[in-house]
Amino acid sequence: MTRSSRQHRTTRRDFLRTLGGLGGAAALAGAADAAPLGTREVRHWDDKTDLLVLGSGAAGIAAALEGRQQGLDVLVVEKFRVPGGTSSLSGGVCYLGGGTPLQKALRFEDSIEAMHAYLIAAGGVHAPREKIDAYCEGSLEQFDWLVAQGVVYARRYSDEKELSHEPASLYYCGSERVHPFNEIARPAPRGHVPAAENQTGGRALMEALLASASRQGVRLRTGVSARRLIVESDGRVVGAAVEEGGQVRYLRARRGVVLATGGFVHNPGMLQLHAPELAACRPHWGRAGDLGDGIRMGLAVGGNVLRMNQGFAVLPLYPPEHVLKGIVVNATGQRFVNEDVYYGEIGHEVVYHQGGRAFLIVDADSDYPAPDYRLVVAAQADTIAALERAIAIPEGALQQTVDYYNRHAAEGRDPLWHKDRAFLAPLQRAPFKAYDLSVENAFIAVHTLGGLQTDLDARVIGAWGEPIPGLYAAGRATAGIPTAPYRSSGTSIGDCIFFGRRAARHAARHAT
Amino acid sequence: MRAMTAATKTVWGLALAAIAGLVLAPSAKAQDIKGDPARGRQVFAACRTCHYPEKGFGHHNGPSLYGIFGRKSGTQPGFRYYSEMLKRAQFVWTPELLDAWLANPDMLPESTMVFVGLPDAQDRADLIAYLAQFRD
Repeated sequence: MTRSSRQHRTTRRDFLRTLGGLGGAAALAGAADAAPLGTREVRHWDDKTDLLVLGSGAAGIAAALEGRQQGLDVLVVEKFRVPGGTSSLSGGVCYLGGGTPLQKALRFEDSIEAMHAYLIAAGGVHAPREKIDAYCEGSLEQFDWLVAQGVVYARRYSDEKELSHEPASLYYCGSERVHPFNEIARPAPRGHVPAAENQTGGRALMEALLASASRQGVRLRTGVSARRLIVESDGRVVGAAVEEGGQVRYLRARRGVVLATGGFVHNPGMLQLHAPELAACRPHWGRAGDLGDGIRMGLAVGGNVLRMNQGFAVLPLYPPEHVLKGIVVNATGQRFVNEDVYYGEIGHEVVYHQGGRAFLIVDADSDYPAPDYRLVVAAQADTIAALERAIAIPEGALQQTVDYYNRHAAEGRDPLWHKDRAFLAPLQRAPFKAYDLSVENAFIAVHTLGGLQTDLDARVIGAWGEPIPGLYAAGRATAGIPTAPYRSSGTSIGDCIFFGRRAARHAARHAT
Repeated sequence: MRAMTAATKTVWGLALAAIAGLVLAPSAKAQDIKGDPARGRQVFAACRTCHYPEKGFGHHNGPSLYGIFGRKSGTQPGFRYYSEMLKRAQFVWTPELLDAWLANPDMLPESTMVFVGLPDAQDRADLIAYLAQFRD
């Protein structure tokens, strides 16, 4: 804050302080930091642009690129010196289908209807239906757009369940081939990954998008932290106060501000407040900017939030895939999931529904070939009875589960959870091991999926159900297409790009 | 990669001074803390966003950390993403240096390693003990 603005405290800020006294000063402290500034407090604008984008991950750069393509002047500010956000550390997977040129080139049949049916089913009760409708309709165009920006896809398919370490660009990135989804929609591989080795598709994606942004005249300023939105007296968002080298600067946005600041997994207070289940897990997955800044700025101008307790909670049992012949049981020895689901679903079940405790039970044939960093052995025994005693499962319960599983697995069936035949085998060869899947000891990578409520044009929706003029948000600063349980890689990055672009397109058509 | 500016040279100089200060006069507290590699497995988990410590796993978003201690910074064959700072710095990685960086990520602001830092000294000691296991 500059001295001059300190003399002109807004009545709004005073109001927030008063509320703080009523509702808990600690909770309000964060909100007051992000409280909006009135335009009358801004004596001069340090810079002006049409579209001001806060954050340089996939959502922000997609918004910036689309803004330029619509003829807007675009300024992106990024808190860190190195742009790219969490997207640049991700796998770079984009969930696309309906017969993309890559799917066709690799001779996979797909339809928009099948993609849509899968995403609706996988999204569960929280699936944002209208967003999924629009996303699926735009899928083919989105692939073409990515290629036009210079993203390179290899004409190579991988049948691995996980993002390949080889530079393959198409794979089954979710639970498409897994019960019950394989019966709901015709499966197709929809994980589109920029060609890159060792799971660095996110870096390749962001290198391409950032290079395209540079070519197309997007102005990018790094080392600049957005602090507060600037609003007109009627509530319209017209800019942001940012900090650069210890100085506050005022940036005017003629067409709108896009919050593309990411999620909040690295803000311990916010995480504990909204998603304590995720706070308990390790590691917290994301680059250092996932601090919830944009979500808080949006809240401070009256934005609504959705699904703040939800997250991506990946508990990767595979690779190797043969360990999925084992079974996952809870603290009472009961199976609760088909083990061959996308690994985000297993994590979700353990973290949210099994009290944070579970075990992977394997025999000598389904064991890992070597000690693995992800999991530690809770117990090992020569019989299932001894194993269940060692991990304090009620007597006979695990034995019963294994007997039931083995009896049907020998016939290639899993009547309880319908695990695929490829992963069915009786557990019968000692030693038996129980791997600890508890939140304390297992590797469970988490990030947040909750955030600002937005409409199909990525406009932030206020607490009263109306869009806030001039304010857009995209990516993990919003509650978008990915919902919990997270069942498919690429729905987050895909959502970032799709709604980042929608924000810019809307802003280009509507002056604030 | 853009060329190193005077400003970044200054920042790097300050960072090195900070590192040197820590190395020459480590606090008694930091030295007394014994790392637990078993605990370090979970502390290190966040680093796996970008780094493999295992032999033969190769580079990820960041360089392989196999045998990191005693190696010269910014010199891993096959890794093309070092910041100019790290490439030019050419210091030898020690547990003390890593501890200093993990405690203060802003020390190397131009680094492509953008992480939240580990404020807890025991966490850092555990991580370093874990990482030290991965060597010939």
